[in-house]
Amino acid sequence: MISSANFEDYFFVFRDIIRSVHSSTSLKEVLDVVVQKSTEVLNARGAFLRILNPETNQFEVGAGFGMGERYLHKGPVTTEKMLRDPSELHKVLIITDIWHAPRVEYPQQAWDEGIRMMLDIPLAIKEKMLGLIRIYLSEPRTFSKDELDFIVTVAEQCTCIIERVRLTENQQAHFTHLATQMEKMSSLGRMAAGIAHEINNPLGGILLFSSNMAKKVEPGSFLEKGLIIIIRETQRCKTIIQGLLEFARDKKPQKVPTDVNKIMATAMGVVQNEFYLRHVTVEKHMAEDMVKTLLDENQIEQVFINLLLNALHAVEDHGRVTVQSTVVPARNSIQVEIADNGCGISAQDVKKIFEPFYSNRANGTGLGLAVSYGIIENHQGDIQVFSEPGKGTRFTIELPVVTDPANGKENA
Amino acid sequence: MKPLNILAIDDESVICEACEMVLSEKGHTVTMRNNGSDGLSAIRQGAYDIVLLDMKLPDMDGMQILKIVMEEKPGLCVIVMTGYSSISNAVEAIKQGADNYLAKPFTDDELIEAVEKACQNKK
Repeated sequence: MISSANFEDYFFVFRDIIRSVHSSTSLKEVLDVVVQKSTEVLNARGAFLRILNPETNQFEVGAGFGMGERYLHKGPVTTEKMLRDPSELHKVLIITDIWHAPRVEYPQQAWDEGIRMMLDIPLAIKEKMLGLIRIYLSEPRTFSKDELDFIVTVAEQCTCIIERVRLTENQQAHFTHLATQMEKMSSLGRMAAGIAHEINNPLGGILLFSSNMAKKVEPGSFLEKGLIIIIRETQRCKTIIQGLLEFARDKKPQKVPTDVNKIMATAMGVVQNEFYLRHVTVEKHMAEDMVKTLLDENQIEQVFINLLLNALHAVEDHGRVTVQSTVVPARNSIQVEIADNGCGISAQDVKKIFEPFYSNRANGTGLGLAVSYGIIENHQGDIQVFSEPGKGTRFTIELPVVTDPANGKENA
Repeated sequence: MKPLNILAIDDESVICEACEMVLSEKGHTVTMRNNGSDGLSAIRQGAYDIVLLDMKLPDMDGMQILKIVMEEKPGLCVIVMTGYSSISNAVEAIKQGADNYLAKPFTDDELIEAVEKACQNKK
């Protein structure tokens, strides 16, 4: 049997789909229109549009039309059956023998529902499958090239819409995450400042008495040993609190036009000895055309030192650390990258890496990266981490190129 | 080094007592005051070589006391002490006329060194 639909009918289907895209804010509403209109114009029994959930690797119903409730609840549809061959991602697959087609997971239910033929149209971008439209027919028939073209075009439209919605959702999730993070850090900062002051006073007593007593006990005695430990540990507390205060202080950066390569050179000078002692080599690839931008030299230097020391601690002796700077004219920004071939960070830990007090090192305060994050944030920049356990870690910092014409300063 | 007459002002008596112990062992005399107004009247009445001044006192701000000292006794040597171990605090105090700065917690050696340095600078 040949479909009776003419080009005018196809045109109206497109028109309705495009209208729903423009008028609706919900993806579900648009997909409902797609399945209903496609079913009607193809004179089919019904259609399901399934979207692939990358977390469960299963297809979930995004929209359905014309099929019974029982069929809808027949069970999950897995990817293994659907994704046999990536070359099938961009064409319509016609299933006439539903009993023996490997893609049909529930042939009995389909047969009971009165289905005798199916069309599978993947929703795919390049090699990535986002979902699938399956059209159900009560009796087998042939499809003209125009009809198949129409179906593929509808699928392409759907793919674009789904991808766009996904991107927006991802962006929203990212922003919400950032906002929570900021809130958490600022309230913690306020608390930290108060606690730090209260703790420094009793520590002051401990350190004065213990350092004084250490001179009065017999050299080499257990008492001296114990006192030295007390002194050392009290000084460790001091370092932690200094870090805390550094973190808590919402210090406005003192920005001057600076060459980021120069800051990196100073930072590397500070840590050079440590690298040398551990036989860790540093490879430098600094942009020769680096432009000046408004930066707080001390703060950015602190970030670089933090990242360099982190890299040093991540690699074994004789490891390799790579430092790179680039100008990104298209984004009017500069990028600095510090990478190591060290132990790497697990995906789970990467999520928490910029949170205060998160540390993998026995003697780490867990504030270095939190402070660094705050500093880059105060420069309207972005800091990101990419890591693979066993292979290494890469931190990238992106800073906007900012001039200060008010002060007559140029960034050239 | 000649024995000095030192006034320690801190509401944390453990700090005052520790300073007293460390400095008296070096032959200096230490007087202790635990709040701002007592500290200020001691400064006005006594003849001190050095004042160890905490920046956060229950009744007065240390910076306020520092300003008064600079007006009334500009020759008096002041070493400020603070629990807010930040450079900006130190810079501010030095700008106001303090001779040295101690970030809590500090060791006995750091205290002695600060006192000696401040004294030398005054000479």
